Amino acid sequence: MYAVEMENVNVYIGNRHILKNISLKIPYNSVYVIMGPSGSGKTTILRVINRLIDVNRDARVEGTVKVLGFDALKKDPYELRRYIGMVFQTPNPFPHMTIYDNVAIAAKINGVAKNRKDLDAVVRWALEKAMLWDEVKDRLYDYPHQLSGGQKQRLCLARALAMKPKLLLLDEPTANIDPVNARKLEEAIVSLKDEITVIMVTHYPHQAARVADYVTIVYDGRIVEQGPANQIFLRPTTELAQKLLRGEI
Amino acid sequence: MYKWRKLKDRIFFAVILILSIIAITPVIHLIVVTLANGLSVIIRAGPSFFTSIPPAPTSKDVGGIAPSLVGSLMLTALALPITIVIALFSSIMVNEFPRNPLSIAVDVVAKSLASIPTIAVSMVVYLLVVVPMGTFSTLAGVVALTIVSLPYAYTYFSTYLRSIPETYREAAYSIAMSRWKTVTRVFLPIIRRGVLVTVLMTMARILGETAALLFTVGRYRIGVSTSILGPTDALPLLIFDYILTPYRNFQEIAWGAAALLLIAYLIIFIATKLAVRGVKL
Amino acid sequence: MKASRKDMLFFLTLTPFSISLLAILVIAILILISRSFEAFNAFGLSLFTSSIWDPEHSRYGLLAPIVGSITTSILATVTALVFSVPLAILLAEYVHDLVRDILSSIVELMSGVPTIIYAMWASMYLAPILKTYVMDPLSIYLSFIPIFSCKPITAFTIFTAGISIGISITPYVTAMIFESYESIPTTYREACLGIGATRYETVKVLLSLAKPAVIASIILGFARALGETTIAVTTIGNSMYLGSCIFSPGYTVSALIASQFGNAYLYRYAESVLYSSALVVLVVAIILSFIGLSLMSRWRRRVVV
Repeated sequence: MYAVEMENVNVYIGNRHILKNISLKIPYNSVYVIMGPSGSGKTTILRVINRLIDVNRDARVEGTVKVLGFDALKKDPYELRRYIGMVFQTPNPFPHMTIYDNVAIAAKINGVAKNRKDLDAVVRWALEKAMLWDEVKDRLYDYPHQLSGGQKQRLCLARALAMKPKLLLLDEPTANIDPVNARKLEEAIVSLKDEITVIMVTHYPHQAARVADYVTIVYDGRIVEQGPANQIFLRPTTELAQKLLRGEI
Repeated sequence: MYKWRKLKDRIFFAVILILSIIAITPVIHLIVVTLANGLSVIIRAGPSFFTSIPPAPTSKDVGGIAPSLVGSLMLTALALPITIVIALFSSIMVNEFPRNPLSIAVDVVAKSLASIPTIAVSMVVYLLVVVPMGTFSTLAGVVALTIVSLPYAYTYFSTYLRSIPETYREAAYSIAMSRWKTVTRVFLPIIRRGVLVTVLMTMARILGETAALLFTVGRYRIGVSTSILGPTDALPLLIFDYILTPYRNFQEIAWGAAALLLIAYLIIFIATKLAVRGVKL
Repeated sequence: MKASRKDMLFFLTLTPFSISLLAILVIAILILISRSFEAFNAFGLSLFTSSIWDPEHSRYGLLAPIVGSITTSILATVTALVFSVPLAILLAEYVHDLVRDILSSIVELMSGVPTIIYAMWASMYLAPILKTYVMDPLSIYLSFIPIFSCKPITAFTIFTAGISIGISITPYVTAMIFESYESIPTTYREACLGIGATRYETVKVLLSLAKPAVIASIILGFARALGETTIAVTTIGNSMYLGSCIFSPGYTVSALIASQFGNAYLYRYAESVLYSSALVVLVVAIILSFIGLSLMSRWRRRVVV
């Protein structure tokens, strides 16, 4: 059983062919890293998994996608997303909600907490897991624009965790934040994998090496290399993978 | 050479400044004279300005504007919510389902009719409502005002909705919010000040509209009417009729009504300014 | 991919509102068209090529008000342009912070003042001033120019209406020009300053860049002026005049409707003639605003990337 299984997935946006014959299997309770140069289609893979690709009205997806045992392309996208958290490249906490509400809303929408006490507990748990609790515990009712970029991003992680997802999608979550915050986020990610399957897109080889169990390398919409992390890092078979891991592209 | 360029620069600025000053002089003069003329009439008439009916043309009485005042308030109270609800839900639909033929039609029609001459609306409503009912009515006025202000409110709402970055939709979807929840829990709260501004601006628009009422509400000034199906009056209509007459006391009434309308507008305007202060995304 | 049933449901709950918006506006147009037929059938093209308002004998020709509408709208647009370009430049280039906030608030304030108040002010204050200081002198010293050739007998003339409407649409045009000017990417401005251009030279370059947007604003302003009723009817003098002189009273289509529609039911054809005249204005206004809006958005796509 796999958390995500893709078979011959093709994605077109308008008449551009974005993903070409993607097949991959993501085991439960692992950190699965997708690497590749920008524009190679990494983010699109994530957006197929939680059907956020639907937001783009020109997009067309072909092939089979199984997510947590569901047929992801046939399932109601809103139902599907109940089990999948996501953190985006640019932090996007809701500007009109307090720090507390930003986390609580995810729990409330998905019926994670029944009463105020449960909700407080879930919010605290999520913020602790995201390693943000100590920094915000005294100002839970402030608004997110008072936080730094890195704190905002961890708030978004907490929001995703508060829905108690089985699957967590991370789209270059450290791309727009400082190194200290990035390290905190990485620590949080690794600590999660006992409970959650994590799929992360990144283009930092070092980051991938620190967190990944499995690695897939994507180039121009195709998978050029995939396997267990140590195998990929120690013996990359393609020249492209070598270049990418050296940070040359 | 450089000196000449420098001089040209100065002259240019002087011209810009002078024309700009001339451009804003009318509105300042207009506000001052309307308030000065109108308030002096209102003060002279006292509270009865708000409670009595307009005078006979040649009487010494200043009289009052009660029928028009009540009419304006009723027309606005009825037309504003209808306009806002239809415009808001339509703009949400166009924002959420932009490819749908119905959405496309709504968008095109609303945009092109923003420039509709309001007097044409008045004529149409005359045929649609006044003729079948056999009488001018508040209802006809409400219909006319709604038609006039719909494209206006719709344009405001859709501009605000479109200004919301797509990333918040993605955030909302990623925590499994439905489309309905995304709109009500995320989008509308984010643009809540914009919604307030739209409501206020639409209200100002409805309060000040004249031409749409010409052939719809009638000109019931012999008493205060609160009937929805009977004729009524409105402040702009009263002003419109009375400035075209040669009678001194009618013109005074018109100034008083104009001052009242202007004050209402100024209050609404200041409220919108307060509403947009400190918007942050 | 399967669309969600929830989406479908949401869409359906919204349809009554959007359909009512659509229906209201479409019905309005259809009624106008159907009501105009009678007059079109009875008078044909002569409705637009002659100039008569004679309900007693059922003779109608709309040329005078149509020409009046065009003339006043041109005057109004020119007036608006003379004031709004400098105002927009002043706002965008020369003032900052508090002064800018105040000035832009004034422009905003101007754009919302009910037209009836403009109308009242124009007929009581502006008209006499224009007569004494503009129309009288021009008709004396420049009477060899056809448009100034007649002596203004009253203060309420085509010229007065044009200027008054122009003042009322100035804030609208200013806002459009200002927005376009502001949306020009800063790189262009930096390029100008980088080669040592003065403020004036920079403005000239940027303004020429914004030319299509200014033209679009002119078109939209013209459409707005065309539909203006309240100010026109209170300042134009309301007379069936057709000639080259702008210092004489006249009619615009909207002014004609406002002053004649009330009694039109008494006469055969009169109502239908007025409906057809409204239809003409409506169609022209819609076409113009459509052209203006698409010009504007095309310009935006090209310049503002």
